[in-house]
Amino acid sequence: MQAEAKQVLNNINWRNIFNKLGTLLGLVILMIILSIATPYFFTVKNLMNVAQQSAINALVSAGMLLTILSAGIDLSVGSVLALSICVTGLAINNFHVNPVVGFIFGIACGALFGLVNGLLLTKLHLPHPFISTMGTQNIARGLALFITGASPISGFPNWIQFIGAGYIWGIPFSFLLVAVMVVVFHIFLTRTTLGRQIYAVGGNKEAARLSGINTDRVLIWIYAISGLMAAIAGMVLLGRVNAAYPLAGLQYESDAIAAVIIGGASFMGGIGTIWGTLIGAMIIAVIRNGLNLLGVAPDMQTVVVGAVIIGAVFIDVLRRRGNKR
Amino acid sequence: MKVRARFLMVLSVLLVLCLAMTSFNGVSAAKQYKISVVLKALNSDYWKTVAAGVNAAATKYGVEVSIIGPSAETQVMEQFNMLQDQVTKNINALVVAPLRPQATIPVFDQAKKANIPVLLIDTNAAWDDKVTFIGTGNYNAGKKAGEYFLQKMPKGGNVIIIRGAMGDATHDERANGFTDAVKSSKIKILEIQPADSERGKGMDVMQNLLQSHPDKIDGVYCTNDEMALGALRAVTTANIKKKIMIVGFDGSPDALKSIRDGGLTGTIKQDAYGIGYEGIEYAVKCLNGEKIEKAIDVPTVVVDKANVKQNITAAEKIVGHKL
Repeated sequence: MQAEAKQVLNNINWRNIFNKLGTLLGLVILMIILSIATPYFFTVKNLMNVAQQSAINALVSAGMLLTILSAGIDLSVGSVLALSICVTGLAINNFHVNPVVGFIFGIACGALFGLVNGLLLTKLHLPHPFISTMGTQNIARGLALFITGASPISGFPNWIQFIGAGYIWGIPFSFLLVAVMVVVFHIFLTRTTLGRQIYAVGGNKEAARLSGINTDRVLIWIYAISGLMAAIAGMVLLGRVNAAYPLAGLQYESDAIAAVIIGGASFMGGIGTIWGTLIGAMIIAVIRNGLNLLGVAPDMQTVVVGAVIIGAVFIDVLRRRGNKR
Repeated sequence: MKVRARFLMVLSVLLVLCLAMTSFNGVSAAKQYKISVVLKALNSDYWKTVAAGVNAAATKYGVEVSIIGPSAETQVMEQFNMLQDQVTKNINALVVAPLRPQATIPVFDQAKKANIPVLLIDTNAAWDDKVTFIGTGNYNAGKKAGEYFLQKMPKGGNVIIIRGAMGDATHDERANGFTDAVKSSKIKILEIQPADSERGKGMDVMQNLLQSHPDKIDGVYCTNDEMALGALRAVTTANIKKKIMIVGFDGSPDALKSIRDGGLTGTIKQDAYGIGYEGIEYAVKCLNGEKIEKAIDVPTVVVDKANVKQNITAAEKIVGHKL
């Protein structure tokens, strides 16, 4: 009996658990420190605020995760987000289409732009998604400014506002949306053929191709989903501030990349999980919120966020080195 | 061969077109002043209104204007290069809203060497050879905002400033003007936080401040309307019982609507249309050899519930539809 228990204990791979919990542990420690440092942090109200504030980035990051898993990147997410909400805003408020239809237009617009990113990469053979998505980043932003005449569009139906600002049982609806998204992504990445193929393509594209995976098709899906997620995140922002504006989502790509990397994904592709990415997004939101509550000078806030990104990735590097040994 | 022939044909047509255009320009340039207007950006309501004023004056005085501006109000070098390009072009006058006045003086000197008169609008620069400065200036307008708070809060109170990106000269001035105005009064500034001139960030920052200063905030001053509307959204969605006064800056159509509907308390409105219009008017006067004062005041007003109706009517004329 005792020997058996010992056997079980020995079978537990502690290193593996540490690896899985690494980023979560970071988040927990961060939250403990902030709870001690300021009385305002660990209150239900504030934690719900943080959940709401992390939602948009978490949604964008989910799409970004797929591109980084495939050893790529999507720099266009912030602009695609802006274009999507402007399309929805114009459709509903200027062309007076049914809000549901306008909403679908915006989301379709995001997916379409993502599709274009994928096609540019695979069919035009542009050397790296950095280039194709940097191009579409500018195109989408320019189009958003053009179609709106650079003015914000405000005033949306209650159900759209609910997506960004509503609560169910005291929990922000936007965060529940994130929870659903994480479960869907988890199943998608671990249980479906396409999901597994994404890891394969990211791990070694040539090997994946030779083993019969249609890598072009996989890449096109990845970028289309990334555009789709940016558009969904946009709808949350639209509901949250009750306005569509062409300068929305500026630099969201850098927050999303940071969340994915802090969450333990590898820039080389093939490594990363949706849970890690969620925690990465939450860490960024907690830092911003915490520094705000502590009244840290705004210029130093930027310094801290930068340091945390470098620190988190460095810990990850150490962990990997430890694993190799 | 066939391809080549077609190519040559297209080329010759293009050449003829080019010739036609240059000769056309040559004729019209003889009796028209060419004025370049370099703004801080083109993609916001404020600058679009300035541009509307410029165009109206251009039509009235029959001058040819080209209105350009960098892609964002942070692109200092982009504007610098634009100005340099204008100086090398054969223009009669330059009307500028400088992003970083101090950094732009070298180009102004180049313009002076090329005998191009420079008129400053919206933002002043410490440059002695300017024809004139037209506007109130962001510092004085910020001061006006502070005076409005003093008037609305005679017993004092706790105020928060939400401002544009750190190091952005426009927002530095708007914030400093305010702080100087309420200095040594009963109004206490609890915190100054940046929200990058954006509505979503304005909402985030306000949400967090409502947490760290529960029930303490009496007023919020934002250095643009977008952030003010974000802060307002944070207050309304948080179900705060206490009345918090929120004042923005710019007088954008969205902000005017919000004031009318009982949302924002007020906004500081620089006369964007007037600044653009008078920029061209005084440039023409200068080219006609008239003497001009070194500073032309275009008044800045505080728009609140009392005078919002007339401002909405004026804004509707500029944007061309009902608000």
